[in-house]
Amino acid sequence: MSGLILLPIFLPMIAGIGMLVSSASAKWKKAPDLSAEGLRKLHILAITVLAVSAVLALWTAWSGDVSFTLFYLMKDIPIFFHIDDVGRVFVTVISIIWVVICIYSFVYMKHEGEERRFFGFYLVVYGVLVALVFSGNLVTMYLFYEMMTLTSMPLVLHNGSREAIMAALKYLFYSMCGAYLGLFGIFFLYKYCSSLTFTPGGTLDMALVSGNQGIVLAAVFAMLIGFGVKAGMLPLHAWLPTAHPVAPSPASAALSGIIVKSGVLAVIRTVYYIVGPDFIRGTWVQTAWMVLTLLTVFMGSMLAFREPVFKKRLAYSTVSQVSYILFGLSALSPAAMTGALLHVVFHAFIKCTLFLTAGIFIFQCGKTRVEELNGIGKEMPKTLWCYTFASLALIGIPPTSGFISKWYLAQGALEANIGVFRWIGPVVLLISALLTAGYLLPVTMNGFFPAKGTEQTEWKKQEPPYLMLLPLVFLAAMAVLLGVFPNPLIRYFSQIASTVL
Amino acid sequence: MAFVQNLPFISIILSLFSGPLSSILDGKKAKWLNLAVITAVGAMSAAVLVFVIGSGEPYVYMMGHFPAPWGNEIRVGTLEASMAVFFCLIMFLCMVGGSRERAIELEASKENLYYVMVDLLLCSLLALIYTNDLFTAYVFVEINTISACGLIMIRQNGRTIEAATRYMIMSLVGSGLFLLGICFLYDLTGHLLMSNIQEQVKLLHETGEYHIPLLVSVSLMSVGLAIKSALYPFHAWLPDAYGYSTLSSAAILSSLVSKGYIFLLVKIFYRVIGFDIVRDSKVINVLFVFGIVGMILGSVDAIRESNIRRMIAYSSVAQIGYIYMGLGLGTTAGVIASIYHIVSHAATKSLLFVAASGLTDASGDSTDFFDLTGAGFRNKLAGAAFTVGSLSMVGFPMFAGFISKILFAQAGVESDHKMFLTLVALAISTILNAVYFMKTVIRIYTPIHRTGLPKKNFEVVRAGQQPAKSFAMVCFIILNLVLGLSSEPIIRLFENGLKMFA
Amino acid sequence: MNAAIFAVVVLLPILAGVLIPLLPFRNRTAMMIYIEAAVLINSVLVFTALLHRPEDAFVLFRFTGNLSISFRLDGLGTVFAGIVSALWPLATLYAFEYMKHENHEKIFFMFYTITYGVTLGIALSEDIVTMYCFYEMLTLVTLPLILHTLTREAVLASRTYLYYSLGGAAFAFIGMVFILSYGTTSNFVPGGVLDIARLGDHTNRLLIVYVLCFCGFSVKAAMFPFSGWLPKAGVAPTPVTALLHAVAVVKAGAFTVMRVTYYSFGTDFLRGTWAQYVVMALVVFTIVYGCSRALKETHLKRRLAWSTVSNLSYILFGVVMMTPLGLVGALSHMIFHAVMKICSFFCAGAVIYKTGRNYIHELNGFGRKMPKVFIIFTISGMALMGVPGLCGFISKWNLVKAAVDSKNPLAYAGIAALLVSALLTAIYMLSISVRAFFPGRDFDYSTIQDVEDPNWMMMLPLVIFVIAMFCFGLHSAPVIRGLESIAALM
Repeated sequence: MSGLILLPIFLPMIAGIGMLVSSASAKWKKAPDLSAEGLRKLHILAITVLAVSAVLALWTAWSGDVSFTLFYLMKDIPIFFHIDDVGRVFVTVISIIWVVICIYSFVYMKHEGEERRFFGFYLVVYGVLVALVFSGNLVTMYLFYEMMTLTSMPLVLHNGSREAIMAALKYLFYSMCGAYLGLFGIFFLYKYCSSLTFTPGGTLDMALVSGNQGIVLAAVFAMLIGFGVKAGMLPLHAWLPTAHPVAPSPASAALSGIIVKSGVLAVIRTVYYIVGPDFIRGTWVQTAWMVLTLLTVFMGSMLAFREPVFKKRLAYSTVSQVSYILFGLSALSPAAMTGALLHVVFHAFIKCTLFLTAGIFIFQCGKTRVEELNGIGKEMPKTLWCYTFASLALIGIPPTSGFISKWYLAQGALEANIGVFRWIGPVVLLISALLTAGYLLPVTMNGFFPAKGTEQTEWKKQEPPYLMLLPLVFLAAMAVLLGVFPNPLIRYFSQIASTVL
Repeated sequence: MAFVQNLPFISIILSLFSGPLSSILDGKKAKWLNLAVITAVGAMSAAVLVFVIGSGEPYVYMMGHFPAPWGNEIRVGTLEASMAVFFCLIMFLCMVGGSRERAIELEASKENLYYVMVDLLLCSLLALIYTNDLFTAYVFVEINTISACGLIMIRQNGRTIEAATRYMIMSLVGSGLFLLGICFLYDLTGHLLMSNIQEQVKLLHETGEYHIPLLVSVSLMSVGLAIKSALYPFHAWLPDAYGYSTLSSAAILSSLVSKGYIFLLVKIFYRVIGFDIVRDSKVINVLFVFGIVGMILGSVDAIRESNIRRMIAYSSVAQIGYIYMGLGLGTTAGVIASIYHIVSHAATKSLLFVAASGLTDASGDSTDFFDLTGAGFRNKLAGAAFTVGSLSMVGFPMFAGFISKILFAQAGVESDHKMFLTLVALAISTILNAVYFMKTVIRIYTPIHRTGLPKKNFEVVRAGQQPAKSFAMVCFIILNLVLGLSSEPIIRLFENGLKMFA
Repeated sequence: MNAAIFAVVVLLPILAGVLIPLLPFRNRTAMMIYIEAAVLINSVLVFTALLHRPEDAFVLFRFTGNLSISFRLDGLGTVFAGIVSALWPLATLYAFEYMKHENHEKIFFMFYTITYGVTLGIALSEDIVTMYCFYEMLTLVTLPLILHTLTREAVLASRTYLYYSLGGAAFAFIGMVFILSYGTTSNFVPGGVLDIARLGDHTNRLLIVYVLCFCGFSVKAAMFPFSGWLPKAGVAPTPVTALLHAVAVVKAGAFTVMRVTYYSFGTDFLRGTWAQYVVMALVVFTIVYGCSRALKETHLKRRLAWSTVSNLSYILFGVVMMTPLGLVGALSHMIFHAVMKICSFFCAGAVIYKTGRNYIHELNGFGRKMPKVFIIFTISGMALMGVPGLCGFISKWNLVKAAVDSKNPLAYAGIAALLVSALLTAIYMLSISVRAFFPGRDFDYSTIQDVEDPNWMMMLPLVIFVIAMFCFGLHSAPVIRGLESIAALM
């Protein structure tokens, strides 16, 4: 029964690989591009597989704690899956968003081409992500973490331009850099932990550690920096603004909404499930970590503020927002952790909405820069409304979702025992929120109320097709509604926070 | 007294008289006489060797039964006898291997003179090996010098005259110093027979008298013989002498003549002065340092040389350096290593000279490095022989050079403060050897059409075309392998012989 | 089983090789069958010997008193002999196809086969003298293989190779002589043979000798600053670069270093001394140095060669940890790297064989035309990077485990070096794959119209290697357990 856990992992992987093979063999045979009929079949196949796997994943996840050992990689290190509360949260978010974006891509990818390759990798990445979330120990997680990097890279370089390829290599370089920093830590933790299996509260063997605190702390810090790469934390955040704009918009949405969260997940696993928050509390590692996250929050917002390319602006925004989450984690207090988890969920929905909007702008009228979006609200008001709601949520205007998470983050920071950061944290978050407003809302304003002096006076309605609009609406609605009815989430997350802290 | 014991004396006399005899024969007959003499002497020496090994102790042979201090003595131990056998063997092969060159390069009218010189050289070498009398040794050193000069000069191409003159001057300086040394010793001890001198020197050493004159005497003799055997700073005559003389001369000179002097020096150290006294005298430290300098700089010179014969000649300078380094270690193990190297180097160097000439035969008689491109394909046997020789020089396992290298190193490890210098010098010198020898090997196995050099139509030389040379090369290769693969009995022989010295 | 089998497996390939140019083969196929049969039979013999493990030694021949050529099989030898004899038949198969486009096949295969015997000689050596002799012979018999094309470049490369190798041997020689003098025996004994009583106050001297000897033997393992020959030697035909310069020759270097460290000088004597720090510093530096050179290199085979430089120092890194765990790591990387690197070299060889292209920038779009080769290449690249699930991760894990365990600050730096190197590996390997699979939108495939995957003779070894990489990567426990039992003797 517990073997069922493998289905949502391997089903999409196999299906994806099948698509890749068919794509490769089609090229081999120099077959013409897919006909409309073939394309439809591909779409149906993709969505079916994805939906089935998502349902399976959610079902296994919510049917209780499941453990499954696949095999032993080394004699004391199994490939081990285990579903726990954090895993459930992540798998739910991932599954929902993945399905939604998939639907959006059906239309969007028409103008990028190479659909078989795209959906192939898209499915494979889903399988890998599920496996990553279900991982029960550090090595298994590391395995899928690396696989995720490798399989998501083709999504970035999809359009095959030189720029995209360079961006993909940059993505690869940064991710590997991070992964290896993480690995560096894992090596040491393997020695100093009683086991690498995720256990709430950590498994550090204090008897072994005593006398070697210095090196263990260094190892943990290396892991934070390393896994922080995926989460866009300073100093290794630069891949994000390069990779997101060149990737097809659904891919950017997935990267920004989900893949960066895998970095967050890895950090959660490391800090709360292996090392244990008590070991870090009050050490230089915590301080340095907080400084880095706060710097990232602020810097990301600033950079977004002065960025003229729309998708790049959103990417910088991601840099900033994900560090909210990391800040919440670094505070090591229950409320902040709750806030962080809330922000994981909310940011996923919000950022996907924003990127899908950007995708629609590109798809419908090829506009990529902010100043070109003058009057866009007259052309596609529904899209822009979705954008606006998501923006408000990201800024944190009540009653949208962002408000809730930020509230908890600030509250957590205030109640945590973190010295001067107790007030610096919330202040930075606030400033950043203002900046967020500053870089997101002008699009709305100029969109609906084009600045004077624009030549164009007639606005042609060109709303996107429903297959694109519906996912957008759904995500925007989620972004708002989760803020209106946050209580189940808050309760669930507080309970998680209380088990690990 | 067994008849065999007469043989050393007979062999010296035989070779001495075959010289004058050759002068009245024509070239061809002189050649056969010479080969016959060498063979006979070799056989006799072998018989002596068997005898000495059998009896297990050295014997002294008084010429005409006149006892010392009036008579002249010969002293034979296993070391002497084995050296004699070995020298005959090498000389025989050198003469065989170089016969074709001699026929071409020597004037027909002077051919018999060549054999006169070779006979005298053999005679003097034997005398140097066997004699128990310092002054006799000096006399034969001079004979040796003169005959060697003749061997160099007899190929008349201008350069050899110059080389021979140089050689003569250097050699005479060396002999002069050597003679001075002998005079000192005679003055101090009143004897010329080695055994007697040794007793007196021991007494002097114990009383501490005449310490400085003794030291001077040892230094003079060492330096004299070092000059004659071309130890590093005194090697200027060597490249020309070996490089331009006829093949068998070069081979014999490089492998035997200088080795004869070194052997004499070893003998003086052990039989005349006493090795302990030599060790204390610090003279050996000087030899050690010059030996090492020679090892390195000789190879450096060789690397810069583009004439293959001269390159091999420079390599001799380096190898002589090895031998002196071994002596300079001041241990029995070091001396054994040196003696083994005398043998292995003699075998290897003559092989290299013969092989090089085989290669030049297939390259229009040019000794230039670039003309040798691809020569290994044109003369396969010579190529193989040259490769074997080179590998032996580099100290490749299975070949003679490896054993002497390992003996040197083991001797070096035992010595306390000379250890590092020895080992590092060995390593560096190995690398340098590798540089020029293996460079040449690669060169001779590079087909000419791949190098972009102008293509020349060199003839292909088959082994059957030069039976004598091929025979010599094959024998040399076998000799090298024997020395490399079954060194155990030979080393033991030398060890016993060295014990008999005392 | 009689110990004479050791001599047989060493001499058989040598003899078979020597016979190749002498035998009158009717055609190429006959020659191929002869060679493959000889190699296969020998491999089978080796494996029989490995399985039966004759305990006693076999003295082939004695130079002098304590200098002899003698063979014996122990754990370490088993590993190396196993690697070599497993890979040789496959590489030979590949070489048949590859060498079609080169000349002088007979001479090539002669030396190629002889090298097999000589390499086994190193693996089976009972004592340091035998090992040294075969080490020198290895230089000699592999020289013609580098020289093979006889171009100016090849001549220069072979010369460099020769100078480096003989120079290394000259220093290794010093170590050998010391072991002969200061050791209780010249045989290899786990834990070392140094006679502590004789050592007296010569400790420092001996440490210097160890460093010299280490450097000497690690010339073949291409440690900095002796790594220059390896990339140059890439001019050799690919089967040579793949098998010899990724496995046999360079691993022989690493193997000899293991021997002198663990079996002659002894780790108890060396651990914690300045000598350990010196060699470790060199090794750690090489790890990064090799990778960064690989990154700069635009020639495909040379890039792989630099990668080998770096990876060999992984092995040496395990060795210089001087703990049993370190040895396990080193040995595991020795095995796994052999598979990974030979695989990537064979892929490179396939490209060269099929298209004659040597430079990385010429490989645009090849992923579509030679999909099998490039998928395999990508997998081997991932294995080299240490992606979990492939074998490279296991050995890296073991190496680092030993480093963490050693509590040696320099070893910690070594871990960092390993990871930096892994990162650089990711870049220099995957950038090739990216180029091959994603040549860019406007790439004109008609320029590489006739490029295609090679035939089964080339593909079979590749597929076997990929399977091996996965097998070792996913199920390494038996291998590691075996290695641990070897290291436990220390």
